[in-house]
Amino acid sequence: MEVRQAADRRAQIIRLFTLLGGVYFFAYFLLPESAIEAIGLKERQEPISNGFIAIGAMAIGLGLLNLVSAHGSRLAFRKKGWVYSLALLSGLFSMIVVTALQWRQSLGATAELRKIQVVSDFAQRISQDAEGQKPAPPLSTRIEALQRYASEQLSALDVGALSPGTSDSPLRGELRQSAQALREKISVAPAESGEALTPPTKEWLEAVAKAGSKLGAALSAYQRELASGTTVQQLYSLLYEGVFTQLGAAMFALLGVYIASAAFRAFRIRTVESALMMTAALVVMLGQISLGRMVSDQLPELRQWLLEVPNSAAFRAIRLGAAVAGLMLAIRMWLSIESRSFSSRKK
Amino acid sequence: MVGFEHATPGILCMVLFALGLLLFELQRTSRGHKHFIRRIPGIDAVEDAIGSCAEMGRSVVFTTALTDVGPVLYACLGVLHSVAKRTAGYKLKLVVPQYSPEAMAIVEDSVRDAYNDAGRGAAFDPQSIVFLSSEQFAFASGYMGLVHREKAGAAFLFGVFAAEALVLAEAGQQVGAKQVAASVSPEQVAFFICTCDYTLIGEELFGASAYLSREPVQVATLAAQDRLKLLFAVLIALGVACATAKELVPGLAMPEIASFFSADWSIFAWK
Repeated sequence: MEVRQAADRRAQIIRLFTLLGGVYFFAYFLLPESAIEAIGLKERQEPISNGFIAIGAMAIGLGLLNLVSAHGSRLAFRKKGWVYSLALLSGLFSMIVVTALQWRQSLGATAELRKIQVVSDFAQRISQDAEGQKPAPPLSTRIEALQRYASEQLSALDVGALSPGTSDSPLRGELRQSAQALREKISVAPAESGEALTPPTKEWLEAVAKAGSKLGAALSAYQRELASGTTVQQLYSLLYEGVFTQLGAAMFALLGVYIASAAFRAFRIRTVESALMMTAALVVMLGQISLGRMVSDQLPELRQWLLEVPNSAAFRAIRLGAAVAGLMLAIRMWLSIESRSFSSRKK
Repeated sequence: MVGFEHATPGILCMVLFALGLLLFELQRTSRGHKHFIRRIPGIDAVEDAIGSCAEMGRSVVFTTALTDVGPVLYACLGVLHSVAKRTAGYKLKLVVPQYSPEAMAIVEDSVRDAYNDAGRGAAFDPQSIVFLSSEQFAFASGYMGLVHREKAGAAFLFGVFAAEALVLAEAGQQVGAKQVAASVSPEQVAFFICTCDYTLIGEELFGASAYLSREPVQVATLAAQDRLKLLFAVLIALGVACATAKELVPGLAMPEIASFFSADWSIFAWK
């Protein structure tokens, strides 16, 4: 009895969250931006999106657990096909380990890059705040702070990525040039830096933002070049680009063979429908290639008509039917009007 | 996310109308009104396929492919519930390969419920819900291997599909499985027609669970969606007639049907 009550309570909570979630997304979808801002939905968007990302991340863990338990037990008890499970688990764990190592290695580089990107963001923010007359410290104070911050970052870069000991390369040369360009920009203070944003100040801020952004891109490229030489990065490239991407491409290539075999079966003319399908396919295929024009000048036009008129009509009918059915089901889900089999009323 | 051009008062009216229609049909059904559902051979084939698996002692594979949590998944769950109940009744092995980890938890719950409903809750094996991969072609290769190893007698492909559709359907074809596919992705329908024994097109997927279970809530939803489709058909016909009349008789004042849906909130002078 108690178990039943707990399950009912759980079902009620799920229904409540479903309803509230539906109300939120529906309002966000439907209302104009001014109304969303007025009722304070816009500022809550980011934490709510983060919540969904967190739920998605938890679900990935669920998938991982399923994989490990299904294949781990097959491997442990040497069930039929255990070799495949071993291959899968080896691939899974080696990818996790290598990706974690790569992430750890990139932490320092990411922090260094972020500090440089802040120069550009800060310059843009000063400009936007001054234009929007948002409450902020005096403009001159902020500009001084920007100059000071950018100088500090450039000095850090001089003893880091641009230190004399490091080996030279075209990307390092580009980084040096970008750093020099930013240094020149920040050293020249705006003609007037009073409280109001004047056109020369705005121009200067835009130039600093642009130079900061360019320096960020150059640093990112240089960091990638440096990282590509490490064992961890090479291992990652081997596993991801050398194995995973290639296997995906091989599976995709299989489609070519399967299309031929499916076409062979489908194009055996047994009924009026298959004859129609065969004729339409022949026209579309011939109309697509230059040989088609040699057969008839009208073929490409006929192909176009087939795709744009009967084919589009059928596609739209399928999409409309599915969309209407989806809408009804979505409303039912939103209001939790569900059949017993879907509800969480467990026995 | 803000500023969809189709998020208009007209859309709000349409959703409210759809809601009213659904509630009306639910009330009608609860009062005992019987709705007619036409015969759909593809859905009848689901039962036949499971029956032949029982005769041959082969396993059943059901995939929702790339379907994520949403209305399409729920439509598929209705069919999966029926399939799982029948396989539990016949003591057949059911395998449900998964692409989305979020959907996997819901699918597992639905299959467990089906086994309980069939009175064989103890026979439910959580490992029959197999997570393969969230990568499209990794999932496709995993599915191919699974169908070949299990020598599936029946394969049901329900949901959202993309380029991997043909790879999945061909895998079933290679082991001689009886296949029923249902997709809301029109681009993949042609591949399924070529490869599967039966194909449900578009909205038939949403009707399948009502057809199989005859549960009042699902049948009422099916009736409501048909009424709404009828309304759209009438609106389309009216729009075409108005546009044609306008072309034929210049200067004729005809209503702009589309403007009802496209008019934005500025008509209320919302600030």
